[in-house]
Amino acid sequence: MRALTYQGPFKVRVENKPDPRLEHPQDVILKVTRTAICGSDLHLLHGLVPDTRVGHTFGHEFTGVVEELGSEVSQLHKGDRVVVPFNISCGTCFYCQRGLTASCENSNPSSDVACGVYGYSHTTGGYDGGQAEYVRVPFADVGPLKIPDGMEDEEALFLGDILPTGYMGAEMGEIKGGETVVVFGAGPVGLFAMRSAWLMGAGRVIAVDCVQYRLDFAERYAKVETVNFREVDDIVLYLKELFEGRGPDVCIDAVGMEAEGSLGQRVLGLGLKLEAGAPTVLTWCIDVVRKGGNVSIVGVYGPPWNLMPIGTAMNKGLTLRMNQCNVRRYMPHLLQHIREGRIDAKGIITHRFPLEEAPKAYHLFAQKQDGCVKCVLTPGHA
Amino acid sequence: MPDRPIPDAAVDLEPSSRPGVPMERTPQPMPGARVPIRVQHSDVRVFKHKGRAGFPPVFGTAQPPHGVSGLLRKVAYGYPDHLARHWMILLLADRVDVWEHRLARVGPWAVPTVGVLALTGLAWRKWSRA
Ligand SMILES: [Zn+2]
Ligand SMILES: [Zn+2]
Repeated sequence: MRALTYQGPFKVRVENKPDPRLEHPQDVILKVTRTAICGSDLHLLHGLVPDTRVGHTFGHEFTGVVEELGSEVSQLHKGDRVVVPFNISCGTCFYCQRGLTASCENSNPSSDVACGVYGYSHTTGGYDGGQAEYVRVPFADVGPLKIPDGMEDEEALFLGDILPTGYMGAEMGEIKGGETVVVFGAGPVGLFAMRSAWLMGAGRVIAVDCVQYRLDFAERYAKVETVNFREVDDIVLYLKELFEGRGPDVCIDAVGMEAEGSLGQRVLGLGLKLEAGAPTVLTWCIDVVRKGGNVSIVGVYGPPWNLMPIGTAMNKGLTLRMNQCNVRRYMPHLLQHIREGRIDAKGIITHRFPLEEAPKAYHLFAQKQDGCVKCVLTPGHA
Repeated sequence: MPDRPIPDAAVDLEPSSRPGVPMERTPQPMPGARVPIRVQHSDVRVFKHKGRAGFPPVFGTAQPPHGVSGLLRKVAYGYPDHLARHWMILLLADRVDVWEHRLARVGPWAVPTVGVLALTGLAWRKWSRA
């Protein structure tokens, strides 16, 4: 089959590789119909995730048609259209039973920091991802959600990661009604976090980024106020001042380890690799949010450590909440939001490419060219 | 700021309407889940980090370890994942992996080319001295 493969930092290509096969009775093989490039795929592309092997196929956001079934699969049938959560979760372990499917114990031998994830290095279990013609999907009766008849694949695609992740980002902000919310990062996850904050009753939502076209997009798409941090002297003071000198009630980090904004952090984390990326946004969240406020982290950070002001967080009495999204539990609720027009998930797609042009799509997305917000790839057969 | 910035604003105001509240549910198997989970078999080498008691029943088998990078990864997985050396050795192995693939790609023509050039050079030196 044709698949995107990693060739080393900043280099991917599309090449032939063997089709995936059933390796467990609860597996299915999916014929991929749509697959997206995620902001977190850029951390892989840039060589920042340990144990990213040459030849690895990325892609943890995809929809597909069931092609082949393992002997123990009973809920899915050949030809079913599904969208798949990025977490590979068994449904029966200590964590899955409690709804924490991102912490599943039964899918990743390589580390305890995460469960198995499609196409996200061997640190998350060594599964090839969905930026290919076919993909192996374990625990197929547990994770995948059937796409309702009459709904396009692209409308459901983002239920696999970024929509639940953005929603959970707002949810962990513990909005009770009327709160002021600052979302750092106007990328896809940030956009969905902003929409979700409104759905939860936020009183005021502000987007912070340094890419102007993305702020403009956020203003239109999520009906938020925007701040370009390159255009203010000191983003922390600016935001505190905006909220009576105290700062907002809730800050959401939808950026993660490759943040702009601090040369020191970039040299330490991205240049010298003395910490896992640049936790600039996390630092801003802690400094900006009001005392007793809530910081929610959905941006991705790697092991083993980062320089962040935990003393400030302690002294300010902050609540820090964070998690990889437990995607499966959000899917039915958010599917409903999409169907009832509250969230136009498909509306963030700015670029579509055939799978063969994936390297170009990666470049465009990474360089933030041509107004790119979200790229969707289509395999040749779809 | 508009009062109703988007349609149905505050529709999820009630925390119990949010799928992730409370964070931990009363334990119960998820719909479609099946026990016991049969243990996956693998023909290729798959590493488990030292801090984990047993192998999980399901895992990925993509890109089995090979060469010098494979040896480095084996060393890395000998340490549990709360130790920085586990991650640092993996990052090193990733770079070695890239070089191994580059060498494997240029090897078939680069090795003979270098050999021929070296022999020609030797012959030239010998001939010019004579
Ligand atoms: Zn993603
Ligand atoms: Zn589990």
